[in-house]
Order: sequence, then structure tokens, then C-alpha cells
Amino acid sequence: MDNQSNMEQVFQKLGDLKQFFVFGQKIVPVFQKIIDFMHDIVPLLENVNNSIHDSTSKIPKAANQINNVTYATEIATSEILDIVDSMATDMTRIKNELIDLRNGFFNQRVALDRFGDELKPLNGTYDSLKSSLCIDDLENKVISLDSIIRKIENDSSNITISLQVQDITAQQLASVNHLIQSVQKRLASLLFDLGKQTEAVLPGLESAGHLDERSFNENAEYDRTGKHQALADNLMNSSKKASQEEIDKLFTK
Amino acid sequence: MKRVILVADDSPTIRKFVSVALTVKGYEIITCSDGMEALEKLPANKVDLLLTDLNMPNVDGYQLIASVRNNSEFKDLPIIILSSLGNNEDIQRGLECGANSYLIKPFDPKRVLYEVSKYLN
Repeated sequence: MDNQSNMEQVFQKLGDLKQFFVFGQKIVPVFQKIIDFMHDIVPLLENVNNSIHDSTSKIPKAANQINNVTYATEIATSEILDIVDSMATDMTRIKNELIDLRNGFFNQRVALDRFGDELKPLNGTYDSLKSSLCIDDLENKVISLDSIIRKIENDSSNITISLQVQDITAQQLASVNHLIQSVQKRLASLLFDLGKQTEAVLPGLESAGHLDERSFNENAEYDRTGKHQALADNLMNSSKKASQEEIDKLFTK
Repeated sequence: MKRVILVADDSPTIRKFVSVALTVKGYEIITCSDGMEALEKLPANKVDLLLTDLNMPNVDGYQLIASVRNNSEFKDLPIIILSSLGNNEDIQRGLECGANSYLIKPFDPKRVLYEVSKYLN
């Protein structure tokens, strides 16, 4: 009886063992596939790792190049402003000279008229002298030159307004640099997690650090329509009106 | 005697632009590149007007204006904001901090002169 029971247990265990082998036969190809997959994916991950490392190392260079562009445009803008300033000084000198010329023509006309009044018999000669001096024509030319100078001054003023685009683009570039640095930090963190680099030797993080010094408005725009200024003027005026109302209230109490 | 204007802006272009526009009209210009520097230069010079940007490193324009207004010596100092921040909230905040005028970049040199002369002449 005991032997029969033992044999039944043996057969049961053998059945279990058979099922295990059947399961093993089924599972082995799956494991094989996983091993094959790992075999394929490891070089791919290595490739991704290298790409991230490569990209991370290039970011400081890109950020520095953007910084260099800002620096170069700042210098160029400053040089143009110096030239515009020098032109403005010259224009002021020319305007003063033209004022002197107009005063000179006025004095000449007064002197000629006095001369004509004093020497009535020379009437014909006086008119001829007056016409040959072309005072009116010269005075008109001075007036014309004056209006040209005013136009040049206005153009210079417009140039200086346009040059402020440098400040706007500098802020936009600073915003891009900030974005690039954020990407670099994320990639560096990824590299650290992948064990490729230790944080101490992450490529170029320190060298790009100084780029953060510049503050910026990421929404800065070059807009000469004046709509924002009109809004500011309205708000300034309304705040003044409010304070005037407050003053009036104080007096009516 | 020349009236003294302190210009606080981290952009060399704007500092130069304002200097060129105002020096020619006889004002003396002192420049600085952030709010911290402005707070150092303000008591050291007899400043008649402050022109300031809002986006600046270390101490920004809002903090600078608030600090100036909290100092009894400068509570009446005319302050003009020069900023590229042009939406309602920014302008409102600038004026609430205590600025007298708000100019949006890019600005006309004639407008800067007008605003400055409004407070100094």
C-alpha cells in the first residue's frame, strides 16, 4: 500500500517534471530572443550614449558663438552710434554756420537799402548791384540747405531708433542661450545617469556658465508701431487722473 | 551747473544711445550696468534723475525703484523706466513701484528728451 502510494507520488512528480520541460521548451526560444534583442540594443544604446555625449560637448561652443554674435553686434552698434553722434555734432556746426550766413544776408540787405536811400541818383546802378549780389537767391539756398539738414537730423534720429534692434536681438539671443544651457544640463544629467561621465568632467558646463549673467525678456520684440507706448501713456495718464481724483476728494471732505 | 542723470541698463547699446541723446543737450550722464551698481552710485553722486531698465542682473529695475523710493533722501527723485516689457501688467507694476514715466524700447530720442526735460526743466 505504501509502495503504491510512493509510486503514485513519483509519477506525479515525473508529470510535473515533464510539464516543466515542456514549459522550458517553450520559454527557451523567448529567452533566446531576449538575448538576441539585448545583443542588438546594447550597441544602439552605446551609440545613443555617444551621441548625447557628442551633442553635450558641442553645446558650449554653440552658446559661446551666440554670445560672440551679441558682442560683435554691440561693438558695431556702438561704432555706428559714435558716427551718428559725430554727424550730429557736424550738423549742429553747419546749422550754426547757416544761421550766421542768414544773419549776414540780412545785414547786407539792410546795408544795401540804406545805401540806396542815401544815394538816390544812383538808382539804376543800385538795382543792378543788388541783382548781381543775388542775395535773395543765396538766402533761398540757405533755407533749402537748412531743410536738408533737418531731414538728415531726422534720418539720424531714425537710425538711432533702428539701432536699438541690437538690444532686442541681444535679449532674444540670451533667451536662446538660456534654452541651450537648459538642454545641456538635462543631457549632462542623462549622461551622468548612463554612467558615461561623472559630473566633475561634464563637457563645457563651466565654460558656458557665464552666459547666464545677462538678463533678458524672452518676449522682447522690435515694434515701432508705438502701440505698447500708447498703452503705457494711457496707464500713466490714468494713474495721474486717479491721483488727481484722490486730491479732489480730500478737498471736498 | 549740469543736471546729472544716472542711467542703469545692462545693455551697452542702450547706455550709449541714452548718453549720446542726452549729453548733446547738456546733461551729465553716469552709467551703470545693474541695479546694485545704481544703488551704490546714487548716494555718491548728486543725481537729479534716474533712467532705469527693468531686466537687469543682481538687482532688477523693480527692486531698484522700490529701494530708491524707500530711501527718504530719494523719495522725490524722478524715475523713468526704459524697458522692452510692454504689456499691461509690467507697465502697471513699474508705475506702482514708484516710476514717474515708462518708455518702451525701441524709443525715440526726442521722447526721452521730452520726458527728461519734463522733470528737470
